[in-house]
Amino acid sequence: MIEIKNLIKTFGRGQAEVKALDGVSLEIEKGEFVGIMGPSGSGKTTLLHLLGLLDDPSSGTIRIDGIDVCRLTDWERTMFRLYKLGYVFQDYALVPELTVKENICLPAMLRRDREEKEYTAATRDILHSIGLWERRDHLQSELSGGQQQRVAIARAIVNTPDILFADEPCANLDTENSRMVLELFRKINRERGQTIVMVSHEDWHTEYFDRVVRLKDGKLVNGAAQAAAEPKAAALKENAMGNPLNYSGMGIGIEADGS
Amino acid sequence: MAQKELKVAFFLAWRSLVRGNRSSVLLNILIIGMVFTNMMFFPSLMAGIGVDIKDQIVSYQTSNIMIGPASGEQYITDIETTLAKINRLPGVERATPHYQTGATLQSRGRLIPATIGAIQPREEQYVSPLHTTMIAGSYLGESDVGEAIIGVSLAGSPNIREEDEVRPSLGGVRVGDSIQVEYPNGVEKEYRLKGIFQTGNFEMDNRMIVSWEDMQDVVGEPLTFAPYITVRVKPGYSESFVKNEILRYGVREQVQTTDDLLNKEIGRVMASFSIIGFISMIVSLVIAVVVLFIVVMVKTINNRRQIGILKAIGVEQSVIMNSYGFQVVLLSIAGILVGFLFTGLIVLYMTYYPMVTPEFSATPYVTPLDLAVNGIILFLASVISGYLPAWKVSRENIRQVLQA
Ligand SMILES: Nc1ncnc2c1ncn2[C@@H]1O[C@H](COP(=O)(O)OP(=O)(O)O)[C@@H](O)[C@H]1O
Ligand SMILES: [Mg+2]
Repeated sequence: MIEIKNLIKTFGRGQAEVKALDGVSLEIEKGEFVGIMGPSGSGKTTLLHLLGLLDDPSSGTIRIDGIDVCRLTDWERTMFRLYKLGYVFQDYALVPELTVKENICLPAMLRRDREEKEYTAATRDILHSIGLWERRDHLQSELSGGQQQRVAIARAIVNTPDILFADEPCANLDTENSRMVLELFRKINRERGQTIVMVSHEDWHTEYFDRVVRLKDGKLVNGAAQAAAEPKAAALKENAMGNPLNYSGMGIGIEADGS
Repeated sequence: MAQKELKVAFFLAWRSLVRGNRSSVLLNILIIGMVFTNMMFFPSLMAGIGVDIKDQIVSYQTSNIMIGPASGEQYITDIETTLAKINRLPGVERATPHYQTGATLQSRGRLIPATIGAIQPREEQYVSPLHTTMIAGSYLGESDVGEAIIGVSLAGSPNIREEDEVRPSLGGVRVGDSIQVEYPNGVEKEYRLKGIFQTGNFEMDNRMIVSWEDMQDVVGEPLTFAPYITVRVKPGYSESFVKNEILRYGVREQVQTTDDLLNKEIGRVMASFSIIGFISMIVSLVIAVVVLFIVVMVKTINNRRQIGILKAIGVEQSVIMNSYGFQVVLLSIAGILVGFLFTGLIVLYMTYYPMVTPEFSATPYVTPLDLAVNGIILFLASVISGYLPAWKVSRENIRQVLQA
């Protein structure tokens, strides 16, 4: 699914040069829930940006589904993000002037292959499953942090992306809300075989990940868990072949909203 | 760019305007409205002055068409025949002869020079609204001899001292007072003041008017000649049509429409008015462009991270640019409509309280074409100045924008 080789990313020049990523090679299988961990400044965000096609590597290659994404034009990358990737930010990054429902719909509205009826139905199902159906017409400013992050996740999966990226999605949340978000990720992963790459620096999050990739000073410290995770990933692959547009049977449900 | 993308861009723009900062939206609309009003005001006031001056000249000086003596002559001779000929033409309301001379006026110990005009009072009513402008006493009768009416400026005011006057007057003469007149041919005559008129026309309000009968006495022979004839055109006929008619029916005198005269006399003044109007429009436009440019610039800079996020979730650059562009489009449409309203209110106000000077009393003259042209110019300028920063920021590298 994702194949990166010898990825290097440097910022600045000369004296001020910083090697944010220093020769990272990694493979991520379809259906895996991978956690990228490491201390602050170790290059986690940089790696996720590169994988999410939000930035270019200084050298090295990134292949997603066999496509060398570094060779894509700007427009192709935008389309790649729209059709294949979902991204969740630490600070939710919702559009403040849009309601919950509108925020979730937004990426789907731009897809040429989706009708309005289709994505309103998908949005409705997602809203139910994240437990925010009652709040569908609220603005971001009327939601708690946990609720906002669940909306952001809903927005990221409305287009049934091949890969979901999340950069410290729980960093601004308390433990209870963090668990809720992590449970949501786990359910999406288990029930839909959604490939998820999530950045975190909280050790207790590891219990949710199939595999943990540790970074330090831009270098991979261990990624050895891959072998162990592989059989499970393969099993999930089949699951993912089901109808990706059908959310009704997904059952990613969260009970009455506690936050 | 397909319909879907435009729809999303418009959706984002609309939501941002409606759910965003109210007061900033209203302020932007107000600014555009003011700029539009500013673009309209000065040029239309200039146009209004032009219209008023023309109106005055038509009403009190030349009427629609003025006929002067053939070249080399001092007078139109045999006016009886000429008038009869012209009055028969289609499109002619009435033609009347005018005579005028300089004279010295004396009253209440003041001695001043003035122009005295002679009219045929009954006929003149069809050509000029003079008879409707009497503010004291009454209009001249057909055979009034030894009686005169004078303009309000010439009559003067008892409250202004002689040495303070801009233009000499008779210091506040009243109806019934007597005025001594000495004509250039030596004739001296005493007139009783029958009425005072106020036309708003500077020339006219400094004149004394007597009847044709009276002037015959002064000249000492029947007035069958005149320096000029004025012709009032019937409503619905154009001045140039009637002018051609007059020429075709064998009038050999010099025939000029008001426009012919105006082009010579005040054409140059109007040209410089329109240059001033043009400059004021350009200044207003520059203000609009700069204001909108800054507004959108600030908006996009404040929203840089937001723009990065939209790009990150797969929203195309052109959708983002258009979402800001559409905001400017909507703001300028609203602003221009507010500008229409302001302009309308100013025109309405100045219809009741016009700008009055001794030379003119002006109300802004606004045509639908002016509104449309200025609206379109402002609209285009706004859209360009709004799209520019939107285009710039939407092109920026995502990572840089995200870290903003
Ligand atoms: N735009 C940038 N310019 C310069 N240095 C940067 C930039 N972005 C990240 N870095 C540096 O790269 C390193 C890795 O950053 P980052 O990937 O954000 O770390 P993490 O997300 O693990 O905290 C840090 O040393 C950081 O200072
Ligand atoms: Mg980070």
